[in-house]
Amino acid sequence: MSVDLFFTNLLYGLTIGSALILIASSLSIIFGVMGVVNFAHGSLAMLGAYLGYSLILWKMNFWVALIISPLVVGALAMAIEGFTLRPLYGKDPLLQFFLTYGLAMIIGNLVLYFWGSDPHGIDKPILLQGPTSIAGIIYPKFRLFVFIFSAVLAIVLWLFITRTTWGIILRAGIHNRELVGAFGINMSTVYTLVFALGSALAAIAGVILGAMRNINPAMDLDLVTSGLIAVVIGGLGSFRGAVLGAFVIGLSESFGAQLWPGFSKFTVYIVMVAILLWRPEGLIKEV
Amino acid sequence: MGFPGFLKKYSGWIVLVCLLLFPLSAGTLVSGFYTSLFIRIFIFGLVLLGFDILMGYGGRPSFGHAMFFGTGAYVSAFLFKYVTSSIWIALGGSIFSCALIGIVIGYLCIRSHGLYFIFLTFAFSQFFFLFFHSWKFFGAADGMSGIPKPTLGFLFDLGDRTVFYYFSLGILVVGYLLARHIVNSAFGRALVGIRQNEERIAFLGFDVHRCMLVAFLISAIYGGVAGCLFTGYQNFVSPAVYHWSLSGEILIMDLLGGMGTLIGPLIGTAFVIYLGDFLSSWMHETWLMVLGALYVIVILFSPEGIMGLIKKINALWIQKDAV
Repeated sequence: MSVDLFFTNLLYGLTIGSALILIASSLSIIFGVMGVVNFAHGSLAMLGAYLGYSLILWKMNFWVALIISPLVVGALAMAIEGFTLRPLYGKDPLLQFFLTYGLAMIIGNLVLYFWGSDPHGIDKPILLQGPTSIAGIIYPKFRLFVFIFSAVLAIVLWLFITRTTWGIILRAGIHNRELVGAFGINMSTVYTLVFALGSALAAIAGVILGAMRNINPAMDLDLVTSGLIAVVIGGLGSFRGAVLGAFVIGLSESFGAQLWPGFSKFTVYIVMVAILLWRPEGLIKEV
Repeated sequence: MGFPGFLKKYSGWIVLVCLLLFPLSAGTLVSGFYTSLFIRIFIFGLVLLGFDILMGYGGRPSFGHAMFFGTGAYVSAFLFKYVTSSIWIALGGSIFSCALIGIVIGYLCIRSHGLYFIFLTFAFSQFFFLFFHSWKFFGAADGMSGIPKPTLGFLFDLGDRTVFYYFSLGILVVGYLLARHIVNSAFGRALVGIRQNEERIAFLGFDVHRCMLVAFLISAIYGGVAGCLFTGYQNFVSPAVYHWSLSGEILIMDLLGGMGTLIGPLIGTAFVIYLGDFLSSWMHETWLMVLGALYVIVILFSPEGIMGLIKKINALWIQKDAV
């Protein structure tokens, strides 16, 4: 592998990884606060991607679509949380996982029903079409945009969690839900907002990843397994762990596809099994 | 003993007699299509019996049970195509290979609980899926076709649908009786105890990990037998038998029917397969959204599934009798 190819792969891996941070960290926050492993997370991301595709097809600006699609998905997530997840709080956490599996089936097949099974491409804004050159490496502008955009978004999310009152409530909720409730904070509202925010982040990731690669009805499982594996590698409920896990997946996808075509997914699952057996709490154990 | 009491006591026999008589009417009263529908129900019913012992009784939900079904199917496909046409040898081969995989993977998985158990079993089943998806010898993504019909011996021809119907029904009945014996034994009660309170059972002197390993092994073997029958019936295997969506469907059948009851999962299997056949004729694959919706409704409103509903209706009848 030449030096140029190495750096291109490295950059591509970091690009996928930074987009996956949006999926993995929101999955992780939802788990940390609500105790729900949301199997429908990838489906919501896919729904966001398809909504973005349709909005752009209706002659809407890419940037407007990138704002509207997450808003719609976030609103839908509020309804989902209120009607289906809320009755299950306090019961067996497995029931919530099973429920979100059912939700994933419904959303995934609705997408299949309305948009069909053919893959589509999302039109990129003219500004970001074509390649550019950074330090001698030719790299598509849009990939560079995905990298910078998701990295910035991830940093904003990190600042939100660590520097704002809302973030303090979130982190406190991960440690002890009852105590936060005892301070007079309505945890029910916090749950709804966390689920909506997480789903909106997933939708953003869906749109930009969909525009970078393509959108197809199988991307929901692809995204949710990548997200779950990233979260499992980093440790359930940990933000820093989700970042680490997302980069592991991104790099193993870009290098694996070069080194062992067809077998790159293997490495990811081997890492997952090894970590689950060796350190079930993940590599990073903190909030 | 009122009407429901009679039904309750003899319902098993009534269903069995109906199933035994059913093929006689096939081709005259109803089309032969239903025979194959029932065969599919019997095959998946076997998977569910084993799965229910692990999840319903033992409380460990596997999200990768397709790995045993798939292994049974692929091992049998190999045996039928290259070694022998005897279904008995294929059954033995499937049981042996699934037991081997069950012991190794079970040993690694049973120490974890809940979501971690789900992730582990899922990751292991994905290994198998990816492996057979890319292994050229087994036809990679296209699968293996043209697998010869298995033979049963004693002049019976398993290529005949009616013979296969009785054969798979027989195995299902034997499987059910065995499973019932297992869950009613001391071992079965220990499993329920582990589900409810693992530490207490350990204090009583049971080796919890060993009990769970045995349960895992049993469910693996049930899956392998079903996979073998599947290949014998379809004469075709593809990596779809290892797909995670099959593991998900197994989970759904168990929850819809009512886990931890053995009969419930069988009803769930029949329900899901019949519904799938009925709806997919005009909705194609999107029928799964109806299944997903039904499944969500069951989780929200009747976590005990169809068996829970039957129990409620039964309780109403008893109240009526008392009045």
